[in-house]
Amino acid sequence: MNAYAIYGGKRLLQFALVVFIGINLAFVITHSTPIDPVEQTVAAATSFGSTSPDAVEMMRQSLRELYGLGGTPWSQYVVFWKRIVVGDFGPSLSAFPTPVSVLINRALPWTIGLLTVSTLLAWILGNLLGGLAGYYRDSKFLKITGIVAMGVHPIPYYIVAFVLLVVFGYLWPVLPITGGSQMNLQWGWNTTFILSVLRHSILPVISLVLVGIGGWFMGMRSLVSNIVTEDYVTYAELAGVSRQRILYAYVMRNALVPQVTGLAMSLGSIFNGAIITEQVFGYPGIGTLLISAVHTGDYSLVIGIAAVSIIAVSVCVLVIDLLYPLLDPRVKVS
Amino acid sequence: MRALRSLMLALALAVAGLPALAQEPISNLPRNQTLIVENPEGTIKNAGWFNIWAVNAGGQSTGLHQLAMDTFWYIDPQRGIDGVWMNSLASEKPIYNADFTEMTVKLRPGIFWSDGVEFTSADVVFTTELHMKTNGMRWSAPFQINVASVSAPDRNTVVFKLKKPNSRFHALFTVRWNAVWMMPKHVFEKVADPLKFDFNKPVSLGAYVLHSYDPNGKWFIWQMRDDWQRTTLGRFGKPGPKYVAYVDPGPPDKRVIAQMNHELDIIHDTSAEGMFTLAKQSKTSRGWFKGFPYAHPDPTLPSVIFNDQNELFKDRRVRWALALLIDIKAVSLASYRGAATISAIAIPPTGTHTESYHAAMESWLKDFELDTGKRKIKPYNPAVGKEIAEMLRPSMGDQIPKDPKEIAKSFGMGWWKPDPQAATELLQAAGFTKRGTDWYTPDGKVFTVKIVVEGEARPVMTRAGSMIAQQWRQFGIDAKTDVAQGTMNDRRASGDFDTIISWSVETWGGHPDLSFFLDSWHSQFVSPPGKSQTPRNWQRWASPALDKIIEQIRTVGFDDPKSLELGREYVKLMVQEMPIIPLMAYNVFTVMDETYWKGYPSAEADPYTDPVPNWGNSRAMMVKLKPTK
Repeated sequence: MNAYAIYGGKRLLQFALVVFIGINLAFVITHSTPIDPVEQTVAAATSFGSTSPDAVEMMRQSLRELYGLGGTPWSQYVVFWKRIVVGDFGPSLSAFPTPVSVLINRALPWTIGLLTVSTLLAWILGNLLGGLAGYYRDSKFLKITGIVAMGVHPIPYYIVAFVLLVVFGYLWPVLPITGGSQMNLQWGWNTTFILSVLRHSILPVISLVLVGIGGWFMGMRSLVSNIVTEDYVTYAELAGVSRQRILYAYVMRNALVPQVTGLAMSLGSIFNGAIITEQVFGYPGIGTLLISAVHTGDYSLVIGIAAVSIIAVSVCVLVIDLLYPLLDPRVKVS
Repeated sequence: MRALRSLMLALALAVAGLPALAQEPISNLPRNQTLIVENPEGTIKNAGWFNIWAVNAGGQSTGLHQLAMDTFWYIDPQRGIDGVWMNSLASEKPIYNADFTEMTVKLRPGIFWSDGVEFTSADVVFTTELHMKTNGMRWSAPFQINVASVSAPDRNTVVFKLKKPNSRFHALFTVRWNAVWMMPKHVFEKVADPLKFDFNKPVSLGAYVLHSYDPNGKWFIWQMRDDWQRTTLGRFGKPGPKYVAYVDPGPPDKRVIAQMNHELDIIHDTSAEGMFTLAKQSKTSRGWFKGFPYAHPDPTLPSVIFNDQNELFKDRRVRWALALLIDIKAVSLASYRGAATISAIAIPPTGTHTESYHAAMESWLKDFELDTGKRKIKPYNPAVGKEIAEMLRPSMGDQIPKDPKEIAKSFGMGWWKPDPQAATELLQAAGFTKRGTDWYTPDGKVFTVKIVVEGEARPVMTRAGSMIAQQWRQFGIDAKTDVAQGTMNDRRASGDFDTIISWSVETWGGHPDLSFFLDSWHSQFVSPPGKSQTPRNWQRWASPALDKIIEQIRTVGFDDPKSLELGREYVKLMVQEMPIIPLMAYNVFTVMDETYWKGYPSAEADPYTDPVPNWGNSRAMMVKLKPTK
């Protein structure tokens, strides 16, 4: 137990260091960008209307004060960390004075919902079909499934998404191609709204599953193909254990260990958002928010989203690291 | 295998059940009473924010400034529904004293806020004084710079006393895209910090009120007020649409799909290819022009903007040489696939400008002579617009107009003849030399020109820049494009470019006065190299002759015919000096679907306003639109 505590302590320190470095990198990169949030705001405010140069110059100065962009980079850095340690990312510069956390909290549930469902679906289907294909190697249907899964996998995501848009949005227009729910529906835990959200998520989910399934399929098939040649599988077959039991209890169960690790990493990445999916399908979420923040030089918002992502991925890695010794005796020994 | 069979069955059932999922785009609103419009701002990240007086805090063209805001006057970029100049909250034009240090505004009586409170001069005084004492509001700076005091002698009169003479002070309250919107005193006077107040739900001064909105910022729905007669639109009759939805339909291809499915009545802008697809495949879709080039020419003028502080471009002969190396027909084809409205002069070819400037100055342009150092040439070709039309006729057939006036309106009039020989002479006169196939600067370096373009955010302009770079390269100049992407605004303001495809000329469109952009071109506002430039003199051009014109314009009234004369002097100076190379109008492919609504503005039948739905002026459409079903 003492050894496990030392192991856990090391991992916790590693976690803290990764988060610290990650957030610092986000600060440095965003503050090095040539996009000035004040210039973006001035451009937006003066693009169309009548402007007097004196007034624009005065507006620039006011915005700099309002956004707290005065002071040296070091003083900005100190203020930044004072805020971060209490979980405050400050106000968004492109939606001033709304706090960054409000914007992230509004977008995050949509991203988590969409990506959790699609990640799990792709994982379950990919592993199930891959496991079956690796075990029933003579099945024609599974061979065709393998060809299709491997054929779709390398196609760039945006092409798959665009094909779905054209097929289900135009040629056979039965599914919504934009938004998170039907217009003029009030948000709430009622059947109409929930059904509408599900309906709007069908195409984004299908697109992500179609592209994501191939990797899991191929990984599982090759794992199963190796395991079926193991002695204990041969012994089970000779002992007359049913093929279904061998597949699920002996083969796939063993093959799942690395796939579960992969799933944990994928679930951590959910917080990165699905930028292309959200752009193509007009789906609300953290990806759209991030793109908008980058374009407007809103580094408070970029750092906020990056921090959430860094922490989420790091937590997932930490949890896996802490669980491994408990689950896998080989790790425990080492 | 049983699991596999179950999976396949489930998939088959799911696909078979898909048609049951089809439904209307909007829940619980009659489609034939709802106008669905694209908001080009896209997704609004702070959707619940309606305080438009806080800079950039929420959306603007979500319907908020088109349908719920109002101010003294509107100038329409086209004919207008009450003439180009519309008195809105003001009952008459601005009244200045002799030296333009005082402006009096007479207000229209009988106008009410949507919560039943009457709009009066107290609202105007409150709006002005709040901006004067609060830094960081959208219009704080112009109020603080201009206004000494404001008073309200009675409920319907406001008097502004100015700190210095300003014959264009009324422009602050005159909508071209937007202007200073009036604030409801009875709401904001109770607010502690106007910069932190979201104004949700907004009290409206327009003919519509907020019905509902998406917290994710994808859509905003506005409903006609029961007392619409008590708004400034009321005198033009009842608005057609009971509901107006402003939506983010996504990228251009999705806008096209949405309109083909009749789920988007007005596309604000799409690609040229998207426009051509809709023209061919959707019988109910139409653009500003019924046929080619479809698009509405915006009162902005995309140009090749030189950084005139760059040593290479300080000599007007170099600028002219580069202009004479451009084949505008190829640029029109590359950028807009031929659907461009070209302009040789530094005035957008749109609205009343085509008569006031383009047609009026045609003979001067034909006679204009340019000294190349070896000879004098007449560089203007008046037939370029016609040549573009003829070039397109074999592929577009009857879509291309035949009437010369229509051709001029659609494709523009003339432009500069490509003349490599004259360009050679001009460059040589300026000290440049050609060795082999390459040109060298007077100090012996390779003549390199970078053209900054915006990239995928503005593909039309990017393609124009690429074509121009190619044409300059063919002549032996080391020209290439430099894609700025999101840094465009910063690079333009900081002068980090040799040349840039953008616009520094932007006008009222419907009025010949040029002060809208020209006043900012005075040399007093030109920043030193490396310092940020205020809009709109991005070329950083300083000219005593131009200063003189601007100073004269400042002393004459807005409607004074002398203002137009001075405007033409500006055009002549721009041709002689060529500090920017004007290319074309910013053509906007606004597409309108006539399935549910008729009465859209159009070039031929009723050009009552610019069709782009994000302008404040687009409120005029509401009273002209009528349901088809």
